[in-house]
Amino acid sequence: MENQTDLIIIGGGPAGLAAACSASSCGLEVAVVDEQSSPGGQLFRNIETPLGQSLLDDGDRQRGLELVRNFRAAKIKYYPDTVVWGVEPNRVSCTDKDGARLLHGACVVIAPGAMERPVPFPGWTLPGVITAGGADILLRSGGTLTRESSDPVVLAGNGPLLLLVACHLLDNGVNIAAWLDTGCWPKRFAGGAFMSWSFLDAGYMSKGKAMAKKILGGKIPFVTGVKQIRAAGDTRVERVVYEKGGKRHEIDAACLLRHEGVIPRTHILRSMGALHRWDKVQRYWYPVTDDFGATSIDGIYLAGDANYVHGGDASIIKGTLAGIDVARKIGVITKGEAAFRSEKHLKQLRRIRIARSFLRYMFAPHPDIFGVPDETIVCRCESVTAKDIRKIAKEGNRDVNEVKLHTRCGMGPCQGRMCGTPLAEIVAAAQSTTPDKVGNLHIRQPFRPVSLENYCRVYTEEPADT
Amino acid sequence: MKNGLQPTVTLTVDDKEVTVPTGISVAAAVLGHLHLGCTCVHPVDKTPRAPYCLMGVCFECMMEVNGEENVQTCLVSVEDGMVVKRQLKVPEAK
Repeated sequence: MENQTDLIIIGGGPAGLAAACSASSCGLEVAVVDEQSSPGGQLFRNIETPLGQSLLDDGDRQRGLELVRNFRAAKIKYYPDTVVWGVEPNRVSCTDKDGARLLHGACVVIAPGAMERPVPFPGWTLPGVITAGGADILLRSGGTLTRESSDPVVLAGNGPLLLLVACHLLDNGVNIAAWLDTGCWPKRFAGGAFMSWSFLDAGYMSKGKAMAKKILGGKIPFVTGVKQIRAAGDTRVERVVYEKGGKRHEIDAACLLRHEGVIPRTHILRSMGALHRWDKVQRYWYPVTDDFGATSIDGIYLAGDANYVHGGDASIIKGTLAGIDVARKIGVITKGEAAFRSEKHLKQLRRIRIARSFLRYMFAPHPDIFGVPDETIVCRCESVTAKDIRKIAKEGNRDVNEVKLHTRCGMGPCQGRMCGTPLAEIVAAAQSTTPDKVGNLHIRQPFRPVSLENYCRVYTEEPADT
Repeated sequence: MKNGLQPTVTLTVDDKEVTVPTGISVAAAVLGHLHLGCTCVHPVDKTPRAPYCLMGVCFECMMEVNGEENVQTCLVSVEDGMVVKRQLKVPEAK
C-alpha cells in the first residue's frame, strides 16, 4: 500500500527532522508530514535559502544545515505543505493541495514544537501588535516591522525570545523606543540559585551573554516592574500605555511586540486523551513521556519543545532518541543496540535539562499578567471578553469547559489555541485557585479546519488523486 | 538579501502586482513587505485584524488565495502569478 510506512512523523522542525534521520538510519521506513513548504520548522525556517540563513548565528546555521542535508540525503518520504487534522494510533489524516490523505504507520512521532504564551491585553487585536516570534519571522522573511526604520517599536513582556528579537532589530537599525519588562523578580532571584549549574551548557549560556551585551550596548530604554500594558490606536497601534509604580505612562509606538515565554503545543495529544502534567513555575501543561518521548498512549511518541520547552539543541536530541526507540519497539534493532545508540544523547539531554533549570525560574511568567481589565478581548475569534468569562466563572461554573459552553470562548477557528491559556488563568483567578484546578479545554478532532469533502474522502478510504 | 541576488516572485495583492522574495509566506509578504496593515476584517466585531503569531496558531491571517476564501496565509508560500485578496468585507449572513 502506498501510504503504509513504519513511522509517521508530524512536524519538520529540529525534532521531527532528527527523529526522521535517526529512525531511517536504523532501517525504518519513515514519512514526514509538515505544514511548511521546506524543512526547518520555526528555528531553521527557510534555512536552505540565503534569506533564511541571514539572521541565524554560526552555530545554529551549521547545525540546521547539517540536519536538513542529512534529512534530504536519507530515503525519507516527505509531505510538505500538508496540514494534519487527525491522529489515531497507526493513522494520520491530513490534507494538501491535492486533497485528503490517510497515512498508516506502526508508530507516530508528534513534533509540533512550541508556541508563544498567548497573553491578552486591551488593544492586542489591533494591527501592529504582534508576538516577538511573529516579528522575527517577518525579519527572517526579509521584511520590516514598520514602513520606516525610524518608526518606534516597543518590546514588552518577559522571555528568551525578546532577547533574540531585540538583537535582530538592532542589527536591522530599528528604532526600539522601549523595553517594558513584566518579569517576576522573586522567581528570578530563586533562579539565581540554579545559575551555577548552567556551566553544564556553556555554549548556550555564552550565546545568552553575548545577546545581553549587545542589547546593553544598544542603549534600549529598559523599564522594569511594568503592569497593565495596553495598546491604543484607531485602526492600528499608535501608543502603548502602561503602569509603573502606580503611575500611568504613555509611549508612541508603530509596532508593539509582546512575548511572555514559550509553551508546548499540546492540541494533538490532548485530542487523543494523553496524560499531561502541570508545571507550576512555567504555568503550562506538558505531556508525560519517558526519556525517549513515549507518551501514555502506546505507539505515540512526542519529540522536541512540545514535550517540555528546552530549546532547539535539546529538540534535536529528543528527536534522535525518539527515532531510536521507535526502531527498537518495531524490532529492527535490538534492545542492546538501542541502548548503545542512545547512550550519549541521553547524557547530553540530562546536562541540558539541569543547565536550563535556571531559565525556568528566570523567565517564569508573572501571574499578574493575566489580571487584565474587564473589557479585554480574551477569545480573539469569538470576541469574548474577560468580563464575560469572570461573570460565568463567578456563577459557579468551575471548569473551563463549562465557561466555554456559556461564552463560546474557544469555539472559533483557532479552536482555543489562543484563548485556552488565558481562559484557565482568568477562571482560576476568579475562584482564587490555580489553573490546574479548573480543567483543560477538551480538544476534538479534526483539530484543524478541513472541508467536509476531504473529511469524508479519508474515511471512505478513497485515495487522493495524485 | 539586500544584494539584489535574492530570487523573487511576482503576485497580485488586491489587484496590484507586487514583487517579493521567494520562499516567504503570503502573510509575511503582505505584512512585512507591502505594509498593508490588516489582512482581514473580523466577522464578529468587524474590526480590522492582522496576523498575531505568523506560525499557524491565531487564524488572523485569513485571506482569499487564488479564489479560495479563509486560507491561513502564514502557512502558504508566495508563488508566481498567485492572486491574493484581503478579506475586508464582512460576509453577509445567508
